[in-house]
Amino acid sequence: MLNMIKSDFYRILKGKAIYIALFIIIGLSLVSVIGLTPGHIGMTSMSNSTIDINDAEFMEKLSEANSLKDIRDLMKSSGGYELDQAVLGTNMNLYYIFIVVVVIVLCTDFSNKSIKNTLSSAISRNKYYWSKAILIFLICTFLVLFNNYFFYFTNLFVNGRNFSSSISDIFKTTIIQLPLIYGIISLLICFAFLFKKTASFNTISIPFIIIVQLIVLGITNLFRIKADWFYQYEIQNALGNLANSPTNQYILNCTLLGIFYLILFNIIGYFVFRRTEIK
Amino acid sequence: MKDIILKTNHLTKKYKDFTALDHVSITINKGDIYGLIGRNGAGKTTLMKVITTLTNPTSGEFELFGEGGQTLTENKRRIGCLIENPSFFPSLTAYENLKYYAIQKGIVNLEQIKESLKLVGLEDAKNKKFKNFSLGMKQRLGIAFAILDHPDFIILDEPINGLDPIGISDLRETFKKLNEEKNITILISSHILSELYAVASRFCIIENGHVIKELSKEELDIECSKCIVIQTDNIKKTAAILEKEFNTTNYKVIDKKEIRLYEFLNQTSKISKALTKNDINILGLYETGITLEEYFKSVIKEEN
Repeated sequence: MLNMIKSDFYRILKGKAIYIALFIIIGLSLVSVIGLTPGHIGMTSMSNSTIDINDAEFMEKLSEANSLKDIRDLMKSSGGYELDQAVLGTNMNLYYIFIVVVVIVLCTDFSNKSIKNTLSSAISRNKYYWSKAILIFLICTFLVLFNNYFFYFTNLFVNGRNFSSSISDIFKTTIIQLPLIYGIISLLICFAFLFKKTASFNTISIPFIIIVQLIVLGITNLFRIKADWFYQYEIQNALGNLANSPTNQYILNCTLLGIFYLILFNIIGYFVFRRTEIK
Repeated sequence: MKDIILKTNHLTKKYKDFTALDHVSITINKGDIYGLIGRNGAGKTTLMKVITTLTNPTSGEFELFGEGGQTLTENKRRIGCLIENPSFFPSLTAYENLKYYAIQKGIVNLEQIKESLKLVGLEDAKNKKFKNFSLGMKQRLGIAFAILDHPDFIILDEPINGLDPIGISDLRETFKKLNEEKNITILISSHILSELYAVASRFCIIENGHVIKELSKEELDIECSKCIVIQTDNIKKTAAILEKEFNTTNYKVIDKKEIRLYEFLNQTSKISKALTKNDINILGLYETGITLEEYFKSVIKEEN
């Protein structure tokens, strides 16, 4: 299993994709550092954790700002807030980076059919599954840590203490977000073993989060169902809430939810793979 | 007694209503070059995929190196494979692709990569990316991968596809060398019988998922050589007459009604007279001699 992980590291570091992923993280961080606002993807990520300013007039001015410089000037005049925590609240953005990781570690093997070489003469399916999953978790954990701490230090250096929390707060938020993040990664691993080829995997996984949100939004609006519980624990919102002084009970619930997703999706992925015919 | 490398026991693979493998039982001994012959879709690749655990059998079982094939762990490294088309990472070079698998298999001595590339004549193309390889070069890299870890058993599915005549001849020599010098057992499939004949020591003809004939090279030679086919209603007596009157044992009893005589060609009338004189009822008497392809066709026709 260790040899398998080592060989994949060798291959991944020879390719460009992982470096592009790092550049994207750096680019997004720099935009947020300069604009003094976190970026977001999806419908529900503008949670109350992103910008904690309760001034309607100010928010209106902010929405009318035309350039990154205008936004920066406006935000500077606000006196400051914990921008790094707000950025951690939008860590769902990393979902798209995780897709890249799953593609380069796993889907490439299916798409190139190189998986045949490994399974026929190197290791068993059991070891294959777990070495791939472990490697994906390792790389994604590294990228989460890189994202959080690169942003923290860059923000501290450029914007100063008024827009920063402490390194221990960043550590705490990172840790409490990890179970849910591992749940999301497990979902992607499960998708990869279900759909195998890169194209099918991307078609399903890229719009998945937004489609789920749209469906729930549609159902709740159509049938006038109160779905606060859903929005509270919807992954994108939950990651935002965990970066905004959550209660211990909420942290516990999110941790259990993350562990549940992790176990559920890995069981499905593993058993699907055990029965899969390698073409 | 020879060591058994692979033994399959009634291996069956079904895809919904289609039976790709039907109770296949074969045995491959150490040192064999075992040629699997069959038409496209006969079940050759499916059999190889089951053996290499790329697909699960519907029923039946198999043993590799005396161990349950589907639970093979450490012994898996003793196998080298090339199943269907060679598949590697397009953006990596030949050397990098092999290094990836060398790390995966825990090969410490990276000289083995150069050695494998040299053996298939790819040492000059080691820094060329796989996506820029011709079909023949891809095939060679596939074979280099199969022999990378000095395996005891190599499984090659249609390895000569896309190779030019010189490449085919070179590979044939490579297979023989690996077999003779390193005592590597080889399972090789092809639908070109003449190519398999040049390299294999045992043959298995497969059709519609059935094994219809398993024979050694000597047996195949006998099947294909020039002979007189004698069909009578009393084979025992016919054999005795041949021994007594023609002083020969160079014949083979094929079944209850047929003997093949490998001498006295062009003397059918003499044989006919001798048999008639001894009250043997002759059902058929003719000369025959078939090419490998004709033999293959006749066996397949018989099956269908």
